[in-house]
Amino acid sequence: MLQTMLLKSIEQGLVFGIMALGVYITFKILNFADLSVDGSFPLGAAVAASLIVGGHSPFTATLAAILAGALAGYATGILNTSGKISDLLAGILTMTSLYSINLRIMGRPNIPLLNQPTVFSIIQDAAKKIFPGFPVQYMYLILFIIVVLAIKVLLDAFLKTQLGFSLRATGDNPQMIRSQGVDTDMTKRIGLSLSNALISLSGALVAQYQGFADVGMGIGTIIAGLASVIIGDALLGEKSIFIATLGVLFGSFLYRFSISLVLSFRLAQASDLKLFTALVVILALTAPRFKKSLTTLKISRE
Amino acid sequence: MLLLENISKTFNPGTPNENQVFNGLSLKVDDGDFITVIGSNGAGKSTLLNAIAGVFPIDGGKIYLDGSDITGLPEYKRAAFIGRVFQDPMLGTSPSMTIEENLSLAFSRAENISLRWGLNAEKRKLFSKYLSTIPLGLENRLSTKVKLLSGGQRQALTLIMATMKKPRLLLLDEHTASLDPKTAMLVNELTEEIIEKEGITTIMVTHNLEHAIKMGNRLIMMHKGRIVLDIRGEEKTSITIPRLLNKFEQLQGEKFAEDRVMLA
Repeated sequence: MLQTMLLKSIEQGLVFGIMALGVYITFKILNFADLSVDGSFPLGAAVAASLIVGGHSPFTATLAAILAGALAGYATGILNTSGKISDLLAGILTMTSLYSINLRIMGRPNIPLLNQPTVFSIIQDAAKKIFPGFPVQYMYLILFIIVVLAIKVLLDAFLKTQLGFSLRATGDNPQMIRSQGVDTDMTKRIGLSLSNALISLSGALVAQYQGFADVGMGIGTIIAGLASVIIGDALLGEKSIFIATLGVLFGSFLYRFSISLVLSFRLAQASDLKLFTALVVILALTAPRFKKSLTTLKISRE
Repeated sequence: MLLLENISKTFNPGTPNENQVFNGLSLKVDDGDFITVIGSNGAGKSTLLNAIAGVFPIDGGKIYLDGSDITGLPEYKRAAFIGRVFQDPMLGTSPSMTIEENLSLAFSRAENISLRWGLNAEKRKLFSKYLSTIPLGLENRLSTKVKLLSGGQRQALTLIMATMKKPRLLLLDEHTASLDPKTAMLVNELTEEIIEKEGITTIMVTHNLEHAIKMGNRLIMMHKGRIVLDIRGEEKTSITIPRLLNKFEQLQGEKFAEDRVMLA
């Protein structure tokens, strides 16, 4: 049982890890509290599922989901940079609008994909033809590892380009990077588009992995993403970009694993999960402060 | 040549915090000028630099650089020809990025940023050479994060970043004020060396009268948004701190006990 649980947690950790990498771009790199996530994640699922059901290739559908996510991120960027709306509110506005937009795209609250072709079913069929002994039970694992590692490597590389440097400096010290001639409005919009494109891709893959898209599947995504980023930061730190993004993926796995532990030992019902997630994030966020006040207490006693 | 023509600026207009800093300030800066700017708190020294750099739009007047009107140009575009060092050592660098990454940002200042690698062997070699000109040992610490550096090291780094690509204009806003005397001296020496070698037109705000007299070829004293003293050449080299304070009181027709403390 533990082995199945571990396998599922790694699979989920990887596929939701793409979303967590998106959250990492906004929260850590850009220092932008982007709440569009809860809308752009189901947006990816909605676009992909609708197009697949409409007879399009799952690959086209997934690509369309990526573009839709980039557009959503760009919208948040425009609200923030041109509209001068604070980052939190800009994200909330996009998220709220997307709820209606996602319903429009799907035409109904839920689209099942069980008997539809998906990127996974197509690859599985192809793999079976080429290697008759293909271990089908590990298909998701192998695919996710390839896709997620490719994304991680590309993201790491991007953050080492001139544009990547500008994005990092925008989150770190906007005054400085403006005085070096970079338009921080532009770098913010690029970062938000990239982030939400990844989040939407994650949504599209999750929908095809679990076999349905649901308009409510985005609730709490941002907290899950944050939990992954924070856990990763706490465990591996940010010595380099390579370590930091690896930490995010590892954090995503640990988060999914702890949830399945809680569920399998019946410590909580499925409906308690959001509360549990929130508690994990609160704990991770307050732990350093708690530790500090403990130290101060010790010092003052001495 | 930089020309400020009749500029005005009021912060928070129409509120109880309304603060008129400039009301028709004009200033002509010649090529190769190294101007030191002194004045009491609230005289508008930093606001002057910020107006030139385009941190905020001005309410009235025009700013020309080499004859072209830059009044409406946003800050990031003016960065193509303006280098800046701030008072706060935290402001000039990106703390969680490494020394070489910061230098790379300055190296491609105001160029079209692309998806090319931010760093390569050639750049690293060049940066190392730049850093070896200052006796801080930074040339061997290229991949150290800037947040681990001291204030003086950061200011020296910021200065190098601001002048790496020779700017038309260098703006220094009390860039040694928060450093210990020894480091301040080092950074000041470096400042003079770079400005002299490259012949950069510079405006330097300072609270230190000694520096203001010793450095540069022209000295400006500001008070309440106006230029109350503008001396150069022999007049500047012959001035002393007591005479400068005297002049200040005389020009204002008031006693500035507080400023005496501030400036001395």
